[in-house]
Amino acid sequence: MSDSETRVHFRVIRYIHEASIKLHLQSIPIATASTIYHKFFRENKLKDYDPFLIGATCLSLACKIEEENVRMRDIVNVCYRTLHKNKAPLEIGDTFWALRESVASCELFLLRALQFKVVFDHPHKYLCHYLKAISDWMEPRQWEEIPIPRTSWAFLRDSYHNGLCLDFQPEHIAVSVLYLALQCHGLEIPFYKYARKKWWQVGAVFSKDITLEIIQTIVTKILDMYDIENLLAR
Amino acid sequence: MPKTEEPTYPFCPDETKYEKLAKIGQGTFGEVFKARDKKTKTVVAMKKVLMENEKEGFPITALREIKILQVLKNDNIVNLLEICRAKATPYNRFKSTVYLVFEFCEHDLAGLLSNPQVKFSLAEIKKVMQQLLNGLYYIHSNKILHRDMKAANILITKTGKLKLADFGLARAFSDKLNRYTNRVVTLWYRPPELLLGERNYGPAIDLWGAGCIMAEMWTRSPIMQGNTEQHQLTLISQLCGSITPETWPGVDKLDLFTKIELPKGQKRKVKERLHGYVKDQYALDLLDKLLTLDPTKRVNSDDALNHDFFWVDPLPQDLNHMLSRHNKSMFEYLAPPRRRAPINQPPQPPGAVRPAGHNPDQHFERIF
Repeated sequence: MSDSETRVHFRVIRYIHEASIKLHLQSIPIATASTIYHKFFRENKLKDYDPFLIGATCLSLACKIEEENVRMRDIVNVCYRTLHKNKAPLEIGDTFWALRESVASCELFLLRALQFKVVFDHPHKYLCHYLKAISDWMEPRQWEEIPIPRTSWAFLRDSYHNGLCLDFQPEHIAVSVLYLALQCHGLEIPFYKYARKKWWQVGAVFSKDITLEIIQTIVTKILDMYDIENLLAR
Repeated sequence: MPKTEEPTYPFCPDETKYEKLAKIGQGTFGEVFKARDKKTKTVVAMKKVLMENEKEGFPITALREIKILQVLKNDNIVNLLEICRAKATPYNRFKSTVYLVFEFCEHDLAGLLSNPQVKFSLAEIKKVMQQLLNGLYYIHSNKILHRDMKAANILITKTGKLKLADFGLARAFSDKLNRYTNRVVTLWYRPPELLLGERNYGPAIDLWGAGCIMAEMWTRSPIMQGNTEQHQLTLISQLCGSITPETWPGVDKLDLFTKIELPKGQKRKVKERLHGYVKDQYALDLLDKLLTLDPTKRVNSDDALNHDFFWVDPLPQDLNHMLSRHNKSMFEYLAPPRRRAPINQPPQPPGAVRPAGHNPDQHFERIF
């Protein structure tokens, strides 16, 4: 994928996330929308489709898949407003109906492209499980002061700006964002230095096939993604 | 590097891959056809997804069915093979259509029960109910509610394997407080809590339906054929006793409890009234437990499967021997109307589509 394409996808994902926040969506539908988006453009060429229409449709489809009750009307209005910040909000009229119609018919198109495979295994549930496990290992005071859950959750959300959700197992992504969060806050698991195993190798909690190499690859990809953000900001 | 999936997404196949043989039914959101794969000659059932007037995009009910069926894989759940599309042509007014392709099952329970030549022994009834409850146990442990239990949605293959079908109204549920729509389940199989406006319901709604179906195994027609929700509640009270806060604590808090007229002073006579049809004491006891008014006291699928009914002689017996005597498909949709009596309006869940002028429930005789 070329650099400019990477940047376009980054922008569209940010637009999906921004619209999702305005629509008060939970983490899972946002993750589903982003995953569908990446999956679609893994197989289809960017030049053939309008990525913002695909993005808006990913959002409306994700809401249906994850049982978030959002009206098509709201998706069209919010997406339009997110994309055209300097223009007046959309009036009910030809443009509105045309946009709505295109999202509605694009839904079927996306579903066909996905071959109707609409069930996704996201890292979120694994992350919750891991956070619970390590919270039991930590000193309660320290755990309360340092916002590991919030930081790791934020890394996970941001990780969707690139397509790593398609390339790695959800369990591995969950361990990696946790690893990164602990490192960022300089927090160590108690007695970690004396243990025979690394904390993420405790088989009863974490997936057995995780390696340091996988963690580092995922962490690097997340950090690279933040570099694109800096590049766009400049 | 392990990948979670192969990154190739060819578009889904075209429906011309199959040739349609006959229309065999009408699902909640579209017609059902028997069809054959032109290449492999495999016989399948194709369910058309109606896409007319979809201003809100792809219908969420269809998406739910697809999603649920992709997750649920069990011997007693209908197997979704693939999804096909039809190109937009002048014939379908340029509306493209989608078909769900299922493995083909030869019969449905309503079709079998409406044919007097098909006789179930006690052991065979046990097998039917055991498979039905097993299917419910599986979907409920996967946190899915069926929400449209009725004999026509219970498919049976020619070898006697039972499959729950039509997940067009199904949805996922959680143990939290919920506000689902209570406009679900075909009226005759609708449990009292839904009729009284409960929106925070759970798996117990499907077990009421299982109870109605179980009784139907002997009576051969739906046991409570109400015309309206009010009438349905009256029939339920006449069979299961008056609905009061004494027999069902908390029922007075349901929306419609005070707004609807409920027969008073009715005694519970599930066993007495069914005794004319059902001689087996264990069967009567299980029926009594399934047709419990209070959903919190209604037996769940796990406990129902452990009921003595399934574990005393005669033990459940495979249906394949009995069915091998019949070489014709039996579907409710194709069953000849037995009686032309005008049975009021078809008791369908709202939103369901039925072809005008054809009411497949028509041939049933009233029992109560």
